[in-house]
Amino acid sequence: MSVRALVRTVSELCITVGTLIVLFVGYILFWTGVKADGAMNDQIDRLQRQWSKGTVAPTAAPHGSASPAEPKPYVPGRAFAVMYIPRLGFTWNKPVLENTAVGTLKKGLGHYAGTARLGQRGNFAVAGHRRTYGDPFKDFPRLRPGDAVVLTDGSTWFTYRIDKGPYKTVPTDVEVIDPVPRKSGYARPGRYLTLTTCDPEWGHSHRLIVWAHLDSTQPVEAGEPRALRR
Amino acid sequence: MYGWIWRHLPGNAWLKALISLVLVLAVVYVLFQYIFPWAEPLLPFNDVTVDNQ
Repeated sequence: MSVRALVRTVSELCITVGTLIVLFVGYILFWTGVKADGAMNDQIDRLQRQWSKGTVAPTAAPHGSASPAEPKPYVPGRAFAVMYIPRLGFTWNKPVLENTAVGTLKKGLGHYAGTARLGQRGNFAVAGHRRTYGDPFKDFPRLRPGDAVVLTDGSTWFTYRIDKGPYKTVPTDVEVIDPVPRKSGYARPGRYLTLTTCDPEWGHSHRLIVWAHLDSTQPVEAGEPRALRR
Repeated sequence: MYGWIWRHLPGNAWLKALISLVLVLAVVYVLFQYIFPWAEPLLPFNDVTVDNQ
């Protein structure tokens, strides 16, 4: 092989690798966002359709009276609520899906399976991407105590208020999603909410946490909670 | 490498250009649809939970 052919082949390889890298960066920065926005809108649309059909009401007990039936368990990978955080923007709303599998988090925020249900006693813990897949928690460090985190499951609005955070910790610190998280300052059992995302923005060495408590609830018929009105 | 491909494509220059374009698009499609989704979890952006890593 002549020197000329060798140089040409090496140059072509370099150009190919460079192109691949540029394409991959484009995929990470741009294409995952496009895919995630589509998937999140799908999830929210599906929820709205489901709610408008009124499947929120349990499949009527024959006597149709008192005891509200045991709520159905959340289906893994399926959306069951929508979250609004005014601090992250008035148009910021994301579906919340059950479990925190990699595939689930591509379609919205993930509720840690095994933590409390929305609005119930214990800790309702939710994870979301800081970067890629729509950057849902990109502005996570801007959250401050007193900020509202509003969720709806189609029948009730839940307004949580942030008490502490953003708190930086390590990935193995699973205590942060305990029913009464030790570092949160909460002393007794209650209805809490925990949000987690990664830190630094493009890394995975740490996690950012905020904690909130349930401030108020109201039925959807009563309209949007005050925190969502401008 | 690219010269070799170009020489082995059939037809005149226009046809070769067209086939090259189709080939490039096919490669990009395969990358975005299969290769990148596979490679992406190997990077740290997915780790947003606290638990069993």
